[in-house]
Amino acid sequence: EDALLPAPQNISILSTNMKHFLTWTPVIVQGETVRYSVEFQGEYERVYANESWLPISECSLLTATLCDITEDISATVAYNLRVRAELGASRSPWGTLKGFFNRITTSLTPPVMKVIADGYHLLVELEDMGPAFQFRVLYWKKGQERRMQQQVVKEASSVVHLDTMEAGGDYCVKAQTYVEAINRSSSFSHTQCVRAQGDRSMWL
Amino acid sequence: TAGNKIFHFGACRVSMSMTEIRTGFTAIKANIQARDPIRTLSILSYPHSLHKVKSSDRCCITHHLFDFYVDKVFKHCKTEDSFVNRKVSSIANSFLSMKRKLGQCHEQNQCMCGQESAEKFQQILANYEGLNVTSAAMKSLGELDILLDWME
Amino acid sequence: SGELYCSLLNPRNVHFESVNMKNVLHWSAPEGTGNGVLYKVKYSVYGVGKWIRKPECRNINSTWCDLSSETSDYEEQYYASVKAFLNGMFSDWVETTRFNPLTDTKIDPPMVSVSSTDKSISITLTAPEKWKKSPEEESISLLQVYPGLQYNVSVLNKKTKKRWFFSISNHTLVVPWLEPGTAYCVSAQIHVSAPLLDSDFSKDHCIATLKDK
Repeated sequence: EDALLPAPQNISILSTNMKHFLTWTPVIVQGETVRYSVEFQGEYERVYANESWLPISECSLLTATLCDITEDISATVAYNLRVRAELGASRSPWGTLKGFFNRITTSLTPPVMKVIADGYHLLVELEDMGPAFQFRVLYWKKGQERRMQQQVVKEASSVVHLDTMEAGGDYCVKAQTYVEAINRSSSFSHTQCVRAQGDRSMWL
Repeated sequence: TAGNKIFHFGACRVSMSMTEIRTGFTAIKANIQARDPIRTLSILSYPHSLHKVKSSDRCCITHHLFDFYVDKVFKHCKTEDSFVNRKVSSIANSFLSMKRKLGQCHEQNQCMCGQESAEKFQQILANYEGLNVTSAAMKSLGELDILLDWME
Repeated sequence: SGELYCSLLNPRNVHFESVNMKNVLHWSAPEGTGNGVLYKVKYSVYGVGKWIRKPECRNINSTWCDLSSETSDYEEQYYASVKAFLNGMFSDWVETTRFNPLTDTKIDPPMVSVSSTDKSISITLTAPEKWKKSPEEESISLLQVYPGLQYNVSVLNKKTKKRWFFSISNHTLVVPWLEPGTAYCVSAQIHVSAPLLDSDFSKDHCIATLKDK
């Protein structure tokens, strides 16, 4: 390592909805383009594999100060992360994330949701957030909150049928995400209400 | 979709996400199995398949196998391929996470070891020690789908 | 004196193609060879010592060989190998990768049957059967092979062009309170989460709800 090149500072994690990024402040060398390389170490490596580190090839000789580490943070254990600066042949010391990162701390946001009334049918369209996500959808007829019903939606790539509605009835829906791998849920989305098609004489 | 499952091993109930392990293994299966030229021996299935294990012994065998992979196998699976190494790390860390969960059952005596599981595990160790360590580790890693199929 | 023979180029792309566990070995002829090349096939169970010849695929000129019967135990894994012959010349044995029938098969879409009343449609789904040696043999549904099997069902209102999705575990679904005298098209897909296997969606099965009485 070369003492001229300082280690990157302010190394931190940005983690939202199971997408994890490592970020740091740039190392400035006038008139030069400094590059960076990132490595990770899982608990397995620390405990069973001589504290070895693994390079993230997509973040080798990177000019940006942001690295997507999602693919490699794929277990619910404590990870170490480090980054160093490189300029030509010289390399800085490693800058290491203070403390471990465990994906269980990712912040989960409520799902984007659109509720649709199609005739007498209550439907919901949910934002696709990736394979790690399921959705817990709660729905009820307005005024009958105690008879709330639930449906777990495992794939959000389409308009999902929830239930059939009584003619002219108002129905409300809210949803939260659930990530099984870390056994955590987001807060609920805002409640959305729709009205079923009216005059279903057959129901009277 | 996410594939967390509640595994019932008698009184022991463990929630484990197998999908990420499957995804990681599928990504390197052909590469790893191509490094194992020995067709005539299986670490996990010789002489009897895991499917022959009594259900009462499933918890103990599973617990032993997680320990086996974490303690013995993964550390000898380093390759010259960075992609493969990262996937092995992903699988190893997932196994470590699950080994801990199963360990809790073991400590609460919900994971009884009968004679059959002891014998089966001894056979697995004998198969493993019958090869040089790198070949044995690579073969064991290449047989991960045998373990996953049996568990699921 | 030693037997003189030249070597033939190897068969290429030796692999299993499997649908509903009908496991057929396929390969391409050695490069640059036209007709006249013959082949023989052998297979082995992974972890078991010996290669076994497939008599029905000895000296064949086709570039496939059905090994479904030999690989029907899906708790085992297999290798297969092919050798080519032409005018006294031989190729090497060329092997497949390790074949796992449980994870390496492709599943057909379910069979879909639909009936309707004036305001509802009833959908019945049937999972495909595992390949079997003969019609007399007992049928095994893939539902038995993959206990976690589910169905994703799509219902398209042909008038409004709106498509709804249902995810169900049992094999029947009734969609009530539909518009009378309207055409609906149903298609369905099989979804297995462990191991992760999805069939294609079936073709559309369209039916109209009866006109209002």
